[in-house]
This record gives sequence, C-alpha cells and structure tokens, in this order.
Amino acid sequence: MSDASQTLVYSEDENLLCELIGAAGAFHRPVAALVTSPSAEQRAAEAGANLVYRVEHIPAGTLSEDVLPTLAKLVHDSLFDVVLIGSTVRGRLVAGRLAARLNTTALTDVKSFTLESGSITIRHMIFGGGAERVERSLSPAVILTIGAGMFDAPPAQPGRKAETTPLEFVPPEKQAVLRERKALPPASVNLAVAKRVVCPGRGIAKQEDLAMVNDLARALGAEVACTRPLSEGLGWLPRERYIGISGANIKSDLYLGLGVSGQVQHTVGISGSRIVVAVNRDANAPIFEQVDYGIAADLYAVVPALIQALREH
Amino acid sequence: MNIIVCLKITPDPEDLEVGRDGSISTERAEWTIGGFDLPALEAGVRLVEAHGGKVIVLCAGPAEINNSKIKKDILSRGADELYTIVDESLRHAGTARTAAVLAAAVQKLGEVDLVLSGEGSADLYFQQTGVQVGERLGWMTINAVSQIEVGANGALAIQRTLEQEIELLEAALPAAIAVTSDIHEPRLASMREILKAGRKPTFEWSLAELGVADLPETIDILKVEAPPRVARKQVMIEGSPEEAAKALLSHLRKEGVL
Ligand SMILES: Cc1cc2nc3c(=O)[nH]c(=O)nc-3n(C[C@H](O)[C@H](O)[C@H](O)COP(=O)(O)OP(=O)(O)OC[C@H]3O[C@@H](n4cnc5c(N)ncnc54)[C@H](O)[C@@H]3O)c2cc1C
Ligand SMILES: Nc1ncnc2c1ncn2[C@@H]1O[C@H](COP(=O)(O)O)[C@@H](O)[C@H]1O
Repeated sequence: MSDASQTLVYSEDENLLCELIGAAGAFHRPVAALVTSPSAEQRAAEAGANLVYRVEHIPAGTLSEDVLPTLAKLVHDSLFDVVLIGSTVRGRLVAGRLAARLNTTALTDVKSFTLESGSITIRHMIFGGGAERVERSLSPAVILTIGAGMFDAPPAQPGRKAETTPLEFVPPEKQAVLRERKALPPASVNLAVAKRVVCPGRGIAKQEDLAMVNDLARALGAEVACTRPLSEGLGWLPRERYIGISGANIKSDLYLGLGVSGQVQHTVGISGSRIVVAVNRDANAPIFEQVDYGIAADLYAVVPALIQALREH
Repeated sequence: MNIIVCLKITPDPEDLEVGRDGSISTERAEWTIGGFDLPALEAGVRLVEAHGGKVIVLCAGPAEINNSKIKKDILSRGADELYTIVDESLRHAGTARTAAVLAAAVQKLGEVDLVLSGEGSADLYFQQTGVQVGERLGWMTINAVSQIEVGANGALAIQRTLEQEIELLEAALPAAIAVTSDIHEPRLASMREILKAGRKPTFEWSLAELGVADLPETIDILKVEAPPRVARKQVMIEGSPEEAAKALLSHLRKEGVL
C-alpha cells in the first residue's frame, strides 16, 4: 500500500456513509466517496469527503447492489487500496462480491483498525461476541465493513462542496428483477435509548405468559425486549426487540432478564447497561456471572411478586 | 434442480472456554453443524422435494469435520450426498480461501443450479463466504433471502428481508443464495431417515484434487482474546419470592434506577 493512495467509502445508507468518512479520517489521507444520488453527494461533501464520484445514468429499477461493477471498475482504475463499506444487508453483499473480484477477504464489522508501516490491522468479534480477533490484512487492497454507530460522522459543514467526478454506470451482467418492495412495519421500539428493559428468554413457557412480563414492564416503566429465539424461532416478538450480537445493543439504567441463560451472543448486547439483574431457576446459569443482582428462583413466582411489590410501594 | 448446500462444521460456540488471562480455547468444544446453516439445508431439501433433483452438501474444514456422527446427522436431514474437503489450512482460513475452495468444488461437481449457504457460520458469523462463492462462480448472487420459490418460467421468485423493507425479486438460475436463519425451521430426522443416512454416499476431496492447493492466505491472525468484561456486583438475593422481590426493589431504588 502506498501512502499516496486514497481511501474509498461507499454505503447506500447516507448516515452510515458519513460515519465511514469519519472512520476513514484516521488514515490521514484523502477520502473519496462513491455516491448514487444528489443528496448523498451533498452529505458526503458536507461530511468532509475530498473527492466525490457520482454514478450517473442509473437505469430505473436498478437495485443499489447493482453498483458493484461500477465500484469494482473505480477501485481498479483509480488504484484505491482501502475500501470502507457500510455493513448493511446490501453492503455485506457488495463487500463480499468486491472481495471475490479482488481475490481478497473482506474484513467485516470492524470495531477498530490501525494503519502501521503500510499494513492494516483490525479487531472484530468472532463466536458471536464470545471472542475478539485481531487480524492483519496481507492483501494489496483491503476491504473493511463497518456497522452503523461504530464511528462518529464528522460535524457537517453546511454548504461545503467537494470536487465531484461523474462516473458512467457500468451495467451488471446479471441482474435480479425487482417485482415489489414492501416496507416492514415501522419499528415499535428503539431499545438503544430505553431507560429500563425487561427481557424474557426461553424460560417463558408459553406466549400467553408474556402478558405477565408486559405487566411487570408497565409497572417498572420499562420496554420489553427478548432473546433471539423468542423472536426468530418462536416469532412471539418482533425482530427489533431482541438483544445481542445480531440484534440490539442497550445502554439502559436497568436490564432485567427473566429466564435468560446468558449465552454470550445475547449478553454482548447488555454490556452497556448500568445495572444487570437476572431471574433464573438454575443457580448455575452463566447469566449469574454477569449480574449485579440475581435471584435463583422460578420466574413464575418472582414476576408476580415483583408486580405486587411495585404496586404496594 | 440440483442444489448444493454449504454447511460449516465448527466448534460449538457454547463450549468456548475463557481462561483467567482472557485466553480463548475451543480445545474441549464439541464440533457441530452451524445452527444458522441448517435452515439453508432445510430450504434445499424442500425445493428438491417439490421440484426433483438432489441435494449435495459441501463442508470444508480441518480434520475434525470428518466426524461420522455429524455426517450421519447431515444425511438424515434430507441431503442425498455429502462432500467434505479437508485440509489443515482451512482451520484459520480467511473467507477468500474458504470461498475459493468451495467455488472450486461447485465447479468440479458441475450440473448444479443453485448454491445455498446459511446466514452466517457459527464460529465467525462474517456473513461473507456464501456471497463470495457466488461471485467467484460468476453467478447471480443474493443474500438475506427469506423465501425461495420456483416460478412458472423456471426462474426463482425470491423474498429478501432487509433492515426496513422486504423485496420480492426474480432471479435466473444458476444462482447462489445466502438465506436468513428463519427461512425454515430445520427438521428433526425421522428414524427412517436416520437408517437411510448410513447408506448414502460420502466423498472426501483434498485441495490438490480441486486444484486449489497453493492459494495465498489473505489474512494473518495475530490474536484471539476474550472481550473486555464489565465488572458486576454479583449479589445473589435469597428468600421466598416475596422477600426476594422486595429486597431486589430496595437494591434498585438505592442504585437509583427505578
Ligand atoms: C452466531 C450466533 C448469533 C446469535 N445471536 C444472538 C443474538 O443476537 N441474541 C440472542 O439473544 N441470541 C443469539 N444467539 C443465540 C444464543 O446463542 C442463545 O441460544 C440464546 O440467546 C438463548 O436464549 P435464552 O437464554 O432465551 O434461552 P436458553 O438458553 O434456552 O435459556 C433459557 C433459560 O431459562 C431458564 N428457565 C427455564 N424455565 C425457567 C423458569 N420457570 N424460571 C426461571 N428460569 C427458567 C433456564 O434455566 C435457562 O437458563 C446467537 C447464536 C449464534 C450461534
Ligand atoms: N468451511 C465452510 N464449509 C462449508 N460452508 C461454509 C464454510 N464456511 C462458510 N460456509 C457457508 O457460508 C456461510 C457464511 O459463512 P461466514 O462468512 O463464515 O459467516 C455459512 O453460513 C455457510 O453456509
């Protein structure tokens, strides 16, 4: 990697694009952004991108992933040696396909990275959060994916302009045809900002029993979250309510786990909570190694008692 | 329709051991099929049940993946054939190497219409390998697919679940598709399938047989360690449910979190 080269950033999500520009600042070299819309062009310029490549003449019905051949050509022609891609579903597809074309490994969901004597070293999670791995890239071109909220976007400089280069859209050889697009129901909660969180796990035997959990949450003024199996396997609660490596991270004052075993893929999401409490009938459940207060008992006895005690107070 | 399903066999993440010095060991972990890969197998088996053809499973990894119990488990869940690609260099391989090896195996098998992979492997969960395999093959490649049907024109009708929306897409074959973990609940094998599994063919390939023995590695793993842990008070509250409830609330009031 030569010090004269530039960093390229791409995300179809404009907020994340600005965060990538912020992250790329750490390399202390020019940052270029690839954009596909005038609004993204403006956001990138205001976030401090030195150069903006704006893809033009994108045919109607094009999926945002179809930018891949244009991106690959740009990386090839302009000799970009670091590419940062926003880790959304679409971004992960673009990153993987670009990595395959460059015959390299995309380093995914990086938590931190350093550039030292010409090589990039990154840190990211493996085992669903059970461990962190530090890796050095051995490739001439490095692709990193970065999730939302990992790095700060630079403060916007309203009205700032960047040097813009138009790029002709390179049509992909193979394209999926978009038949329909449906918005998912709007998220019912933003757990990231909840003050108190009550989190049922598989210790809840039946869906009806969630009524008792809801009552407790109401009495505590808490949001209801859950572990992944309650959402993805059983479908009792929407996806945005599960906490963990593949779900939400909370920063609440209180987390109260009810029948949660404490597998690391879940507990990485609660490390930001100030006080962690768990009720689990198994005194040896791993969750108890990670609590401030624990009650080793049947949640079906403790939850009604908690509701009662809150009412009496 | 012939379908290849890529399944990663890994140390069970629940068996991870964390040493006092923050070191991580999988030495005593049991090896299992990734929990997020099994829905891909289920999706493949259902497509073949509905449209004919066969399901071939591909697993790449170090010698531990040659485990007869796991192989039987895979074959009892509806797969017709199993190919393992065993090499020590696959233990800590970057996704580029793993994808190149799997793509080479798909090519060698030939006559394949669809390659399915899971949402993410149980040990790495990078959500990369499947899409890299598709691109290396030069095929239509899509991730986060939560429903697959075969349309009247022979193309796939696909539902894809993104952060805020669902997309309905039409994709021509051959295609490589990474599915979501909730595309299907994986089946439990019946007694009949378990008995049948023992008679199904399994094959083992070396990297040399696939012509990928000399791939350069793209990453150098420097360190694996436990994530920093938040120190917690670990106060266990005893007594009857009523006493415990009252005691907990009084602690929480003192903490100022109520
Ligand atoms: C790559 C990967 C990513 C993952 N991502 C996530 C994620 O983001 N979020 C997530 O949550 N999970 C995730 N998981 C799944 C995770 O590993 C665990 O399987 C899951 O968190 C366990 O959920 P649980 O604690 O509700 O269930 P279980 O592990 O089944 O635990 C249930 C607990 O309830 C207790 N219990 C039972 N009955 C009672 C009772 N009457 N009273 C009190 N206690 C009772 C039991 O003692 C047990 O400890 C992931 C897994 C992998 C491999
Ligand atoms: N060594 C492997 N052998 C077979 N399939 C694999 C292997 N590694 C990854 N896969 C497949 O690729 C998907 C994504 O893996 P990963 O990029 O590691 O999260 C997994 O869900 C598997 O379907």
